[in-house]
Amino acid sequence: MSRAAPGPEDRHAHSPGTDGGAAAGCAEAVVDTGRPGGRVLAALAGFRAPVVWILLAIAFFTSISGKPVDGVLLLIVATGLAWDAGRRTLRHPEAGRGAEAGPGAVPRPAGRYGGRRRLAAVTALLAGGAAYAGVVGSFSRYSWPVTACIIGLGTVVVVIGWHGPLRDRSAGGRLPVAGTLAWVAVLVVGCLWELGALLQQPSLTTDSYAHPTISTLTDPVLATSPGRAVVLLAWLALGWYLAER
Amino acid sequence: MRSHEVTIAGYLVVLAGIVVLQVLATRTRARVPSLGDLLTRAMRSRTGRVGVLVAWAWIGLHYFAK
Repeated sequence: MSRAAPGPEDRHAHSPGTDGGAAAGCAEAVVDTGRPGGRVLAALAGFRAPVVWILLAIAFFTSISGKPVDGVLLLIVATGLAWDAGRRTLRHPEAGRGAEAGPGAVPRPAGRYGGRRRLAAVTALLAGGAAYAGVVGSFSRYSWPVTACIIGLGTVVVVIGWHGPLRDRSAGGRLPVAGTLAWVAVLVVGCLWELGALLQQPSLTTDSYAHPTISTLTDPVLATSPGRAVVLLAWLALGWYLAER
Repeated sequence: MRSHEVTIAGYLVVLAGIVVLQVLATRTRARVPSLGDLLTRAMRSRTGRVGVLVAWAWIGLHYFAK
């Protein structure tokens, strides 16, 4: 197994950054695990990662929007992520590197599948994805069968991602600040617009024609079995794309 | 213009912003990263990688699951 080139988390450990890995890495630098209470502080270090708080916020809003199952699952993942980062902080307090650079973060080697094997794997994945979308799309929305299928696949993908990227990728150079801020601005505005529509509904669980959320706008498409299958295919394709990152 | 149209127009403006930034990133020399670059960078750390994948899973849960 080959190790990847040092990622941004490694550099950020020396120069505090803004991503989740850096947050955990910074915690290592300030927590003395030898002192009384140091281990507790180190275990809590995972909560310094912004991603954990974003997940907790989504869990909260999802729960009060009438989707308690989603909320509980997100709460479990956010807590597990924080615990994992804190645990790695305790295991490697002397490393001086980000907790993200622990053994569990070792990327998988590139080119595991070569040529025909990769083609066969891709073909099998495409066929499996099409079958999954067709079968799950045939179930009613919000039914237990579709819930089980979505949770099952989501869990598999998250667990795979937890152990590292599928392929080794170079960290790349520093992202241009202005361009990155432009992306952040557009995405934050989008989230706030959606939140504004949600809060202007008669209640959090009652749709509004005057202030439709994206979910409300997509309801007509998801009301039909073919529509659900197409959206599920897009969701699977996005998941594949992300898993390959 | 009614509230319904205004709300939808807002979504379209955000979508247009995403398309413009992606075009700037991939078709010009502007110093704008592509969405793929942003995701790749965000997923360099374990928390970032898991966070993005959980966000993807949440989309499926939100639209289909109980």
